[in-house]
Amino acid sequence: MRRYVQAQDLSRLPLLQRADVLDVLYVGYGLAVVALVLASYVIGALGWLPHDPRAIDVALINAAPFTPGHPLGTDFLGRDLQARLILGIQAYFLPGLLAIAISLAGGCVLGVLAGYRGGPLETLVTYFANLVDSFPRLVLILLVIAAFKPDIYYVMVVVGITGMPAIANLVAGKIAFLRQKSFIEAAHALGLPAHSVILKHILWLNCRTVLVIQATLGMAEAILIETSLSYLGFGVQEPTPSWGNMVQAGANYFLQGNFWPSTAPALAILATILGFQLLGDGLNNLLEGKRRR
Amino acid sequence: MKLSAVKPVGRVLARELAVTALLLAGVSVVVFAILYFAPGNPLHALGVREAEGVASTWPGQYAAWCAKVLQGDFGHSVRTGLPVLPELARVGLNTLYLTLGALALTAAIAVPIAVHAAARGDTPGNAAATIAAYVLSAVPVFWFGYIVVYVFIHQFGMFPLISGTATRQQNAWLYSLVPILVLGTASGTLSEMIRHLREELSRVLAEDYIRTARAKGAPVWRHAFKEGFLIPVTEIMSAKIPFLLGGAVIVEQVFNWPGMGRMAWQAAQDRDFPVIMGIALAAAAFVRLGSLAQRVVFTAVNPRASKE
Repeated sequence: MRRYVQAQDLSRLPLLQRADVLDVLYVGYGLAVVALVLASYVIGALGWLPHDPRAIDVALINAAPFTPGHPLGTDFLGRDLQARLILGIQAYFLPGLLAIAISLAGGCVLGVLAGYRGGPLETLVTYFANLVDSFPRLVLILLVIAAFKPDIYYVMVVVGITGMPAIANLVAGKIAFLRQKSFIEAAHALGLPAHSVILKHILWLNCRTVLVIQATLGMAEAILIETSLSYLGFGVQEPTPSWGNMVQAGANYFLQGNFWPSTAPALAILATILGFQLLGDGLNNLLEGKRRR
Repeated sequence: MKLSAVKPVGRVLARELAVTALLLAGVSVVVFAILYFAPGNPLHALGVREAEGVASTWPGQYAAWCAKVLQGDFGHSVRTGLPVLPELARVGLNTLYLTLGALALTAAIAVPIAVHAAARGDTPGNAAATIAAYVLSAVPVFWFGYIVVYVFIHQFGMFPLISGTATRQQNAWLYSLVPILVLGTASGTLSEMIRHLREELSRVLAEDYIRTARAKGAPVWRHAFKEGFLIPVTEIMSAKIPFLLGGAVIVEQVFNWPGMGRMAWQAAQDRDFPVIMGIALAAAAFVRLGSLAQRVVFTAVNPRASKE
């Protein structure tokens, strides 16, 4: 039997039938990147690296990719780039998760306060959002680094706090929309306690996709910040690899025409940030049905 | 014009000024809190000392610190011993030139693309352009900078690293365009600007009043200009100022550009509190000023703004 679906009822179609091909490709690529990052993180954490990332080999300096034994080539000290790229994930993975956790937790609390209680609290959250937007993020982070110490976890706390308002706005908007719905009214009429309505019916059942999307976009942001900082010399220090300090270490050779040692980590940054961004935007288009602004 | 018709706009602008002042006060509290809780008592380096009769409680210290900052006394750099404010003014101009140049360049690229996309609707090239914009926004700025430097050295025999330094050569201003090019195209600002402008313009072009204008043969662009063009452009430009200032930290590092970003980097290296504090305050002030300008434009062209 053929189903006739009107334009407004598009959401009744199974997910894959109403999906844009491009969005499916975005999500597919993003999931592949996430899987690769996760797998590489575990490999790096367990130390199952193909090579010792600190083993220096002066006979093989700045080797091109596909050199026997070094599929991704070597850096300026002849260290295996593949192993260093895999180990470089350690520099941002857990800190990035911390930043995401802080943004999500704080953003949900602020969003619920603004959306559910409204009034002066809403004004306060808007004020906080504008305050956070007043600082260039990198400048605020450099201030914290100067005042405290160049520790990636301090930095990620700042990234997490500055990421809160965006999530708070989304949650508050969602709540403003949901409050008119009869099921929330019914939940209140049934005498469900406020925390149950908020936690279960609003945050868990209706905001989780938004929050997952924000988490993936947050990871892209965290990687961008970590690589920028380690490029600037405030992150992980040599000889511990991070994608940012690998680009920096290869810079002199880059200008002499030896592109690869600097380009390999740069491409890793590009591909990974792109993956998390596309995953977030693709999921947003598929599940929420709107473009990110 | 009746007085009652003028009054609300004035009131709105006064409100915007008050909001800006309130936000700048918030900025000062954040910066003070970071300095207050930092180990090693950085406030001492700024001359807020108990020995000079400043209360040891935080409100007293905040008041003393605020008074100093408002008088333009940002302290002396720990590294060079020079007073911070004149130094800041000197390098701040370079950063202003870099960021405003990049902003202008981004707008110059984004506006035609966005207008074309909004006016013509979906074309086959759109998907490719969207993907290209995604990729461009994920390119690490520093690496892109190296590519540009390499191309300039080896193709044009120019060395853009010395741009902006004291050694003024012939056509020195040409070199200074290179960092602007990098910051303007590769900091993720470009794709977001295109997306925002395109969405807003498409939305406005679909409004009823545009259809009416079209139907009666009136020029569509003149009707769509304020809401569909002027407001979104100023909105996105002011919203992108903090991103460009952040990107300037990296671009200035790559190109050895003597601006606030490089100074911030140096100050963070040396734990030079007065300098980094001054830069944070100056950057925040710049951002709020841009935002205020945007609100003024918004209020001026939007008659509803005064009634909200």
